[in-house]
Amino acid sequence: MKNQNQNDPAPADKRAQKLVNASIDGEITATEQDELDRLLVSSDSVRNLNAELRAITDILNDLPQVEPPEHLQNSIERQVRLPLPDNAGATNPVFPGRWISAIWLRTGVALAAGVLLTVGVYEMGSEPITARDASSLAGTMVKSGPADQQGVLLDSINLNTANLNGLVELRDKGDLFTLDVHLSSDGLSQVVVNFAGRGLEFDGVTSMQDPTEAVSVKDGSINLASRGEQHYTVRLKRTSEALQVAPLGVDFYANSELIQRSELTVSK
Amino acid sequence: MHKDKDAALVNDVKNGDRRAMSKLVRHYQRPVFNAAYRILGNMDDAADATQTVFLKVFEHIADYDQNFKFFSWVYRIAVNESLNQVKKRHKQESLDDGQVSPWQGPAEALDTKRICKQVQDALMLLNDEYRTVVVLKHISGCSYQQISEILQLPEKTVKSRLYSARQLMKKTLLSDATSNGGN
Repeated sequence: MKNQNQNDPAPADKRAQKLVNASIDGEITATEQDELDRLLVSSDSVRNLNAELRAITDILNDLPQVEPPEHLQNSIERQVRLPLPDNAGATNPVFPGRWISAIWLRTGVALAAGVLLTVGVYEMGSEPITARDASSLAGTMVKSGPADQQGVLLDSINLNTANLNGLVELRDKGDLFTLDVHLSSDGLSQVVVNFAGRGLEFDGVTSMQDPTEAVSVKDGSINLASRGEQHYTVRLKRTSEALQVAPLGVDFYANSELIQRSELTVSK
Repeated sequence: MHKDKDAALVNDVKNGDRRAMSKLVRHYQRPVFNAAYRILGNMDDAADATQTVFLKVFEHIADYDQNFKFFSWVYRIAVNESLNQVKKRHKQESLDDGQVSPWQGPAEALDTKRICKQVQDALMLLNDEYRTVVVLKHISGCSYQQISEILQLPEKTVKSRLYSARQLMKKTLLSDATSNGGN
């Protein structure tokens, strides 16, 4: 910096320099412009200064804009992770605060177009599921077993709103309960399943098909964010100590607004 | 992009809306890339810097204070990231026998490439502080007030740096013209 600071103007020239610069940069007032005009008429040095600085700024302003590489936008978008919405937790009594973690299932985990991407996500205690956990599970098939059976329909929710439509069915499959979720939304939709204290634990989510979908599990709630047409299944397991399973709370959000708060009765 | 529109998109992004994120990237990637390019003088480095800028923007979007303009925040990250890369490159260059990286850009393909190259070379001879204000003013088209907000400097300092930077560029370019004329 020191070696480049040899252009400090003499005090007598400072005013002229300020006016010339302000004029060149289009940040001069009418009064100042009048003052500069008078100086330009009366002073050769101000005229020279004005001409030189205008020439430099013209050259700089004429530098061509360059186009970013074509792949840049896609490259950026592929790598960006977005947070889950704040207000899902804020309006949900189980989550007084915001969601702490989110898993974004990335495009990179898709194996091939047309192949159903099945991702199993498992809760590890109360710890958030990491991106590494999710990617390591990408492409694995759904665990076979009771969840594949049709089971007994216990309860269902029909959604018919302007922004969000669909059907959620709760089924009893022996040791497992499954929530089959079919949704259709114009924008971002979220389903928050509250199972804390209900005698259930999270066992996984199957059939999230789109890399923009997200699943987060924390403190007895599951937050599933999706967009457009979606079908996925949430698996819940009866805890070994549970004698009775209480109704499940299910909240639906469209574009981050709470649309409907429902309960699903677990016993028939 | 209008401030309110930016604010709406930022809110959507905070709610996990990837389409809003995509719109913001589409709108700002070109100006960010151009600013980075003129600070770094190299297309590849500018692309790397631009990518890092947006990853940082969206990583920290929850912390973004909406009292400030979104573009100011993005430009601030862009300037810092570009200057970080300059520092890294200087370290690398010192390991590479002090050779200056060749300036490689599309301007070389144009008829005016000689002038563009001279101007870019003159820009690269400025120190980081001067080069940054020149880029924000003449490449990004920011006002004194916007540069002041982006760099968190008093407007007076912005004006002073701009004046000094232009004078230095004038000297460099005149010197180039004299030596070319003498050849």
